[in-house]
Formats: sequence, structure tokens, C-alpha cells
Amino acid sequence: MAQFIQVLILGLALGGVIALMGSGLSLVFGVMRIVNLAHPSLIIAGAYVAYWAFKLWGIDPIVMLPVAALILAGIGVLLYRLMFEKEAKSARYSEMTVLLTFALAMMVEGLLGAFFTNTQRVTSPDYATDAFFLGDIFIPKGQLYAGIVSLVIIGALALFLKYSRMGYAIRATTQNRDAAELLGVNVNLVSVVAFAIGIGLAGAAGALVSFVFSFFPAKQWEWIAMLMSVVVLGGMGSILGTVVAAFSLSVIAAFVGTWVGATWSTMTFFLALFVILLIRPEGLFGEKPEMA
Amino acid sequence: MTALLEVTNITAGYGDGPAILDGAHLTVVPGKVHCIIGPNGAGKSTLLKAICGMLKIRKGDVVLKGERLNGLRPDQILRKGICFVPQERALFPKMTVRENLRMGGFILGNAKELDRSVDAILDRFPILRERANQHAGTMSGGQQQTLAMARTLIIRPDIVMLDEPSLGLAPKIVQEMFSIMKMMSEEGVTVLLVEQNALMGLKNSDIGVVLDLGRTLIEGPAADVLADPRIQELYLGGRKAA
Ligand SMILES: Nc1ncnc2c1ncn2[C@@H]1O[C@H](COP(=O)(O)OP(=O)(O)O)[C@@H](O)[C@H]1O
Ligand SMILES: [Mg+2]
Repeated sequence: MAQFIQVLILGLALGGVIALMGSGLSLVFGVMRIVNLAHPSLIIAGAYVAYWAFKLWGIDPIVMLPVAALILAGIGVLLYRLMFEKEAKSARYSEMTVLLTFALAMMVEGLLGAFFTNTQRVTSPDYATDAFFLGDIFIPKGQLYAGIVSLVIIGALALFLKYSRMGYAIRATTQNRDAAELLGVNVNLVSVVAFAIGIGLAGAAGALVSFVFSFFPAKQWEWIAMLMSVVVLGGMGSILGTVVAAFSLSVIAAFVGTWVGATWSTMTFFLALFVILLIRPEGLFGEKPEMA
Repeated sequence: MTALLEVTNITAGYGDGPAILDGAHLTVVPGKVHCIIGPNGAGKSTLLKAICGMLKIRKGDVVLKGERLNGLRPDQILRKGICFVPQERALFPKMTVRENLRMGGFILGNAKELDRSVDAILDRFPILRERANQHAGTMSGGQQQTLAMARTLIIRPDIVMLDEPSLGLAPKIVQEMFSIMKMMSEEGVTVLLVEQNALMGLKNSDIGVVLDLGRTLIEGPAADVLADPRIQELYLGGRKAA
């Protein structure tokens, strides 16, 4: 029983960060129908921001989080302007954006590798290797803090989407772009803002990831599959779905890792992606894909 | 009576494609229900899209209260007081009824004024008040169409354009939609609708417009249009609707 609770807690502790990693991907897909394969590489870029700030100046990665988010959001605006704006009217938009984000993922990995090498890194504030103990059960502080910060950020995002004027515009554009435009929403501006927020969330997730997982540029390939399975299970474009899926898969992966074997833990995500696409492609909270 | 909106001999099409409208004209008088009829593919929807700024007008004029609207974007035309409900109704399925209504006043900017407006509409449509917190996508077709029409009223428009509001609705519900349109026109909102069922559309309207092959064929009081022999020919004999 104690072991069961221990594994459950470890799974839950990681669920929050994974949800944050996936939320930006989900938002960008919802508004722009872009499957941003470069999302994990941008998370890693955010992780390097936090890593070097800690290494060079001893700045806590959680303190560095807003900075990483802003830097990445700025990069997001640039990328949108350079890569996607003129594609928006293209009839081959979906193929083009998949190819573009794939190319971007390779490029970001190459650049990060050139600057920072392929050495495994991890930011190491004191709490990253510390834990709380409740009797026999331990809760790693780093994962706990990262999970709590992630949930706070996702909560803020949800409130923003639910109540702000821009939030209304983003949701409306996600659900019916033409209708939003007819009602006076500047959908182009909404796209830039949503993309910037999405990439900013990658930066924020990166700062947390930097002390929860070890990372290096090519780590993105493992995370792509993990995040894809999370956002697909959640129903592409649904933030709530992303959160629920992240926690579910993270807990399942923790149990698989303990009882079946560590290598099978990551396989959980790949297998889940495959099975979800086969039996319920619209995910838990998404709409049925149109059969046109 | 002076015209509220005057459309004179416009030519318009999609992108660089052929002209779909060529010689369409229309005079919209305040406070009346206008019904555009015509065979499938005549260009009825295209005409509404051209008026609301979704298509470029290549020739001719669209003039609202003396002001030329050619070349304005859809949101600018909306601000001028022309509201368009396309055939697909343009609702946000995963937003609540109240949120959909708030989107109707997106251009208002002032949140307090918007809330008052939304509440006034909910008071007038009890069925929407009852479902205010329900997702629009979970409602019946008639309720969704009611929501789409009610949503146009948030900004107090001069003209509401409806593309086939009766589409997919049971006859009894269609009658309800026509009563809402009548109520709107009595309150001073001019209605311009496209209707597949010519007979039903004309019977429920004040003014009829017949469009065929992208141009206006007949325009006049609905009763006169109904009695026009060309209508019989267009709908009963000769060329069948596609
Ligand atoms: N998005 C579009 N792109 C190109 N052609 C279109 C488009 N929509 C409609 N058309 C063409 O315009 C013509 C008129 O269509 P429409 O205005 O929808 O007719 P109606 O509403 O009277 O049935 C048709 O020949 C149709 O094929
Ligand atoms: Mg039509």
C-alpha cells in the first residue's frame, strides 16, 4: 500500500509539469491548427535560459521562469511573423506548417547543440535534490514545486481564457474562426498573441523542466512523443483535457515504470498515442475530427 | 419611403474567379422584412457576403444611409450597423449561450454596457435565459437559430441579414423563426433574409426580391412577387433548381 501511494505521488508530482509542457502546444493547435513539432525544442531552449542563469549568476530557476517565458514569447512573435503569417492563406496550410515546424525543431536543436553541446544538463538548486517525508513516503521537493507552479500558471491561463476580452477572442477563434472574424475579432492579432503565449508557456515549462529532468538538445524527440500523446488524449486544443491527460498518463507511466521496468515508463506515452489515435482520435475532450 | 440600404448593379465573385453576381440590385427600406429568393446557385448567399464585406465588390455600389460601404472589412460594416448570420449560424459550440451573446457585442468594448445588453436580450428570449449557462452546441437547431438571431440584436443593428434561417428546422419551428423576424422588424430592425422555400418566405415577408444567375429579376411587395407569372415559371415550370 505504501508503495502504491508512493508511486501515485511521484506520478502526480510530474503530471503538473507535463501538463504545462503540453498546454502551449494545445493552445497553438487550437487557435491556429498548427501541430508545433518544435514545441519541445523550445521548451529545451527555455531550460537553457534557466540553466545558465543559475550556473552563471545563481538565479533560482523559478525566479527565472518569467524571464524565460518572456524571451520565448518574443521568439514566438518573431517565428510567427517569419514562418506562419504568410502561410495562413495557403491552401496547403496544414502540410506546410507540419514541415515548417519540423524544420524549426531540427534547427533549434542544431543551434542549441552548437552553443551548448550535447552534454546532459540539469539545474541544481538545493530543493531539486531534497524531499519532504511523510512517514515512509517521500515527496521530491523539486517535482512538487514545479508541479505547483505549473498548476498556478495553467490556472491563470484558464482564467485569462475564460474572462478576459482577449480570452474570449482566443476561444471564439479556436471554435469558429470565420464566425469570430464576422463579429469583429482581429483573428490575425489573436493568432500572434496565442502563438506568443504558447511559446511563452514553453519557456516557462523549460525553466521548471530544467531542474526536474536532465536535458540536452536531442531530448526533444522523446518529449515530442510524450507531449503528442498528452494533447491528443486531451483532445487537441483543450487545455482542461491536456491537464487531465497529463496527470493520467504521468501516473500510469509511474506505475509502469515501477512494476514493469523503467524503460517501459516512456513507452507508456508512445503506446498511448498509438492506441488513442486508433480508438478515440478526438481524445477525451476534443471534437470528432471532420471526415471531409 | 427612402431607402436604408441601396445596392446598385453590383458585380462580385470569389477571389479572381468569375463574376457570380452581375447586375444584382436591391433596395432595403427601414423596418420591413425583405426576402431574397431564387434557384439554387443563383447567388443569394454571395449577395449577402458581398454586402457584409466578405467579398470584394468589383463594380457597383453598396450605400447605407447615404454612405458608400464598398471596400470596408466585415468588422467595419458591422460597426456601421449591418449584422450577418451566415447559413452555418456562426455560433461557438463550446461557449455558453451567455458567452455567445457576449461575443455578439465583441466590438462594443465596454464590458458593463455589454452585460446590460446581454441581460436585456436574455429577458426577451426566455428560452435562452433558461439555457444561459449551457453550451450552444448542445441546443436544438431551433434554439441555435434563435440564439444566432438574438445575438445580432446585442449591438442594436439597423439591418440584420439572415442566410436561410429555416434550414434544417421543422415547419413549426420555422414559423417561430419568422415570428422573431417579424418582432425584430416591428422594433425597427430591418430584416433581409434568404429563403429556399419561396412560397413560405414571401408569405412571411413584406418585400420580395428574386435573384437568378447573379442578377435581380424582380423586386417589389411580397404579394406582387408571389403573383408574378415569372415566379411560376422559375419555380414550377421551365428550368428546375439545381
Ligand atoms: N466559396 C466559394 N468559392 C467559389 N465559388 C463559390 C463559393 N461559394 C459559392 N460559389 C459559387 O457561387 C455561385 C452562387 O452560390 P451561392 O451564392 O451560394 O448561391 P445560392 O445561395 O443562391 O444558392 C455558385 O455557382 C457557387 O458554385
Ligand atoms: Mg445559399
